Amino acid sequence: MKFQIEDVTVYFPYDNIYPEQYAYMVELKRALDAKGHCLLEMPTGTGKTIALLSLITSYALSKPSNPIKFIYCTRTVHEMEKTLSELKLLHNYQLQHLGPAAKILALGLSSRKNLCINPTVVSAENRDSVDAACRKLTASWVRELAAENPRIPTCSFFENYEKSASEAILPPGVYTLQDLRAYGKLKGWCPYFLARHMVQLANVVVYSYQYLLDPKVAGIISKEMQRESVVVFDEAHNIDNVCIEALSVSVRMQTLEGATRNINRMSQEIDRFKATDAGRLRAEYNRLVEGLALRGDLPASDAWLANPALPNDILKEAVPGNIRRAEHFLSVLRRLVQYIRGRLQTENVEKEGPVTFVASVNTQAGIDQKMLRFCYDRLHSLMLTLEISDTDEFLHIQTICDFATLVGTYTRGFSIIIEPFDERMPHIPDPVLQLCCHDASLAIKPVFERFQSVVITSGTLSPIDLYPRLLNFNPVVSRSFTMSLTRDCICPMVLTRGSDQLPVSTKYDLRSDPGVEKNYGKLLLEMVSVVPDGIVCFFVSYSYMDGIVNSWHETGLLKEIMQHKLVFIETQDVVETTLALDNYRKACDCGRGAVFFSVARGKVAEGIDFDRHYGRLVIMFGVPFQYTLSRILLARLEYLRDTFQIKEGDFLTFDALRQAAQCVGRVIRSKADYGMMIFADKRYSRHDKRSKLPGWILSHLRDAHLNLSTDMAAHIAREFLRKMAQPYDKTGVMGKKTLLSEADLEKMGNSNLGEMF
Amino acid sequence: MMNRDINGEGRKLNRGEEEEEEDEDEESGRGRDAWERAYADERSWESLQEDESGLLRPIDNKALHHAQYRRRLRTATTAGIQKGLIRYLYIVIDLSRAAGEMDYKPSRMVVVARQVEAFIREFFDQNPLSQIGLVTLKDGVAQCLTDLGGSPESHIKALMGKLECSGDSSLQNGLDLVHDLLNQIPSYGHREVLILYSALSTCDPGDIMETIQKCKGAKIRCSIVGLSAELYICKYLCQETGGLYSVALDEPHLKELVLEHAPPPPAIAEFAIANLIKMGFPQRAAEGVISICSCHKEAKFGGGYTCPRCKARVCELPTECRICGLTLVSSPHLARSYHHLFPITPFDDVSPSITNIPQKLPKSCFGCQQSLLNPGNLPGPCVACPKCKQHFCLDCDIYIHESLQNCPGCESFKQSNSVTNMEE
Repeated sequence: MKFQIEDVTVYFPYDNIYPEQYAYMVELKRALDAKGHCLLEMPTGTGKTIALLSLITSYALSKPSNPIKFIYCTRTVHEMEKTLSELKLLHNYQLQHLGPAAKILALGLSSRKNLCINPTVVSAENRDSVDAACRKLTASWVRELAAENPRIPTCSFFENYEKSASEAILPPGVYTLQDLRAYGKLKGWCPYFLARHMVQLANVVVYSYQYLLDPKVAGIISKEMQRESVVVFDEAHNIDNVCIEALSVSVRMQTLEGATRNINRMSQEIDRFKATDAGRLRAEYNRLVEGLALRGDLPASDAWLANPALPNDILKEAVPGNIRRAEHFLSVLRRLVQYIRGRLQTENVEKEGPVTFVASVNTQAGIDQKMLRFCYDRLHSLMLTLEISDTDEFLHIQTICDFATLVGTYTRGFSIIIEPFDERMPHIPDPVLQLCCHDASLAIKPVFERFQSVVITSGTLSPIDLYPRLLNFNPVVSRSFTMSLTRDCICPMVLTRGSDQLPVSTKYDLRSDPGVEKNYGKLLLEMVSVVPDGIVCFFVSYSYMDGIVNSWHETGLLKEIMQHKLVFIETQDVVETTLALDNYRKACDCGRGAVFFSVARGKVAEGIDFDRHYGRLVIMFGVPFQYTLSRILLARLEYLRDTFQIKEGDFLTFDALRQAAQCVGRVIRSKADYGMMIFADKRYSRHDKRSKLPGWILSHLRDAHLNLSTDMAAHIAREFLRKMAQPYDKTGVMGKKTLLSEADLEKMGNSNLGEMF
Repeated sequence: MMNRDINGEGRKLNRGEEEEEEDEDEESGRGRDAWERAYADERSWESLQEDESGLLRPIDNKALHHAQYRRRLRTATTAGIQKGLIRYLYIVIDLSRAAGEMDYKPSRMVVVARQVEAFIREFFDQNPLSQIGLVTLKDGVAQCLTDLGGSPESHIKALMGKLECSGDSSLQNGLDLVHDLLNQIPSYGHREVLILYSALSTCDPGDIMETIQKCKGAKIRCSIVGLSAELYICKYLCQETGGLYSVALDEPHLKELVLEHAPPPPAIAEFAIANLIKMGFPQRAAEGVISICSCHKEAKFGGGYTCPRCKARVCELPTECRICGLTLVSSPHLARSYHHLFPITPFDDVSPSITNIPQKLPKSCFGCQQSLLNPGNLPGPCVACPKCKQHFCLDCDIYIHESLQNCPGCESFKQSNSVTNMEE
């Protein structure tokens, strides 16, 4: 269907549209008109992605005079593929209606691991080794050598790509990663470098958050994106954590040992070069004296991670004199590693700011702030000079330089925390030095400044007023939409008491109480006998899950649960968890029924969907607060209070509730789906906790469901499941219109629609 | 034929009396007061619901039920569709642990048994040429309770004697057993399974997906009525084999859902080839003759029917002759099956725009002569026959389509036509 939103004709590939999708588009369009940033919350399962894609591409089409670029950031490769295939559908529809004028180039960009088609390279096990294997075949010096000596292997795909030079472009169309690989195979071109080249010319780019937020990667990939771009962060409820992680580094003993090894290897290389090709080192020295930009003139295949500091904070100066010579720089690195090693020997927890840390490095190791600052670039240049292509071996020294550069660049919003052992396991010495970023706004600031519109959207962004404060920006639009439903297909409940009327909670003083554990077990037992197919349980932490499952086992409750359903458990091991998930799905498929025990903030809670029969019920045991004694968290809370005036309690509750909402949101992925959510903790019934849940859950949380005991919850569950099993009328009978056709939209007109929502 | 009907009536009456007696016995035994009974039996609070402002109001299900019924009618009655009139149906009853639950009073299995009994009678009433068998699921195994047969009494008796529950239930075992049993029936018969499933899981010895594919291959139509919640595997099974899956809300709803399976379903396309079946129409033997009955293997006095081919005596119709294997029916059986093939067209809803002009509209239902107007002289909901344009109330609509099987308007029109013709 196509329809008008103010002056834009929107092409939408389906015959009907949900009212909330329409409202979403209207708001989005206003933000684009205002050339400002916006914050939009809309529940999952309402077709957020297609609404975004269809509005932004239509907006671009309607303004051919100043073309805007559309950058779509996803969290996972899977989401990227999904987005691109939806875009493909939309693009076909637009082509049908507009003809060739609607042609766009859209592609996804991912790491070499996902794009490489060279069989010898892509067989490596992880991302870093694929990258290194690729560099071994494509680095400029390797290719020079290979030109003389044909026995040295190169990558034929890359060679072909280079040979065709300016001809190597993608024709317009929508390319998923799969399509890129297929096209690369067809033409014999390297899909990765082709994609990287085409990103600059494409109308729509879909890639991961890191390509914009992590300065190391963004410097290479996203440097030349135009200002007239719309940037979308999808599933952005954790965007502050992504920003913080991009600027945080942690150094352990292994890192230091590895770094020492790397330094030794480099010094050997330097000696070798001195003997054979002293001119090269001199050339590098001269280049550094002249302060040439280090990256600008490099061939594409040599470009490698850029400076970890943000572009605005990098000094446009020549490298200081005392680290210009390779051997001098190495000795600086040696001293730095030695110094950090010394710091790690400490017996007690230390916490300091970057300024004091830099001062103490200066006095004890004789390395000043400026030298620290240039560490990363200097290392980068040195490694290119030494023609090191197995970069995966050199990760450790990179980490050290990364750390040095960050600590040398930033004085505010960071702290350095040294912990001699893990708080929870005080007997095992595991010293770690962490440089933690506390300010999420640092990493995202350049994005807000560089691009005309930034859209942050997710199913759970509540409370929506906190995000602008955390990320330090002013949205022109910030709105939360609810879902229009033909039936009440979600049933959230707050369970505060067990069947014996004693309160249940994972509060610290209550959590190990046998009564509470028993009540939680009884709750699950009731539920497994009432709910068909799959049930997902989320616990607050791995240790709590282990504890409670043990106690259920001892009291025999677990055995009773297993009579009804099979039990699967998430562990910290990814392979094990994947296997458990597979078998869980199988058990749900074949009607045996299964329960999956998982942990809030775990991998499962973030990325795995439990839609349809894979999750008819999700139980959130407790409130998933962060580990509040963690030094890093305490330091961050302190910073947030001092800088943004966000109260500790507010932030903790916000963070816990968004995790909880994220967990329970896993069960409902479309409107035809249905599911129940049980928040099992007495603290959820308090207004300050509950009100931080997203609106689409709150609107279904009836007052009668706020203070339930186990037996009442079981009764409600029974009724709900019976009701939901009845045949479902998609069009909506009760006079509630949930699907709008083209004619409906015209009838409604824009003016009154604004008021409707 | 008449005889049989009278017998049926008599049975029903008897049964009604028995129940009443039982009820009285129970009540007197428990010694309940009238007010207690109001709570325990009538459960009047269940027919109330809360509206948005918290006020109580009675649940108005009538319009909703009618809407559901209309929907069903529209999908089901498309005239000219071939229907399987000779059905071989196995009823699989889940007697696992879950059947002992008390959310239906007094327990799920008793309620299920009651509904199965009603269903069996209704089934033979509507499909006199068909046969039923019973299978139970208990302790993880499936057991054949009764073989395929045409006598309602023997099935009901067998079922009532076996009402106890334990263990898990296995859908796969049930399907396997039914598959083996149904494999033997002649090719013109329609193979069906109706499963009444209480449990929320199935404990299977092997891969149930294979069994489902096997059933699909054998053209067995599997339908399930669930008692508590929607189960994915059940939905999948019904989808694959072309059956219906439904979940009951409460006892009346369960009854409705079970009885939905009594009229014959549309024939599966592969089966839709017309073929001829050899049938015998036995004569009723003279009263007062003693002969050896082939079904009970003993001498019987009077009554009974004689097979036209081998002259053996059988007690009940329809059946298959034990001696020569001929299908024995009486002609009313065939006649009664006939209306499934030519159903009355569904009536049109009278839209409110027409109802706005009151003088065009008859004030009462053509069927029952009750007023069609709501209190306050507002036009109430009604339907009209597309052929004779007469208006009917919703109750008559249901009655005409479910029981009467002809439209009073059209019939009277025909009659008056023929009368005028004769006069000419």
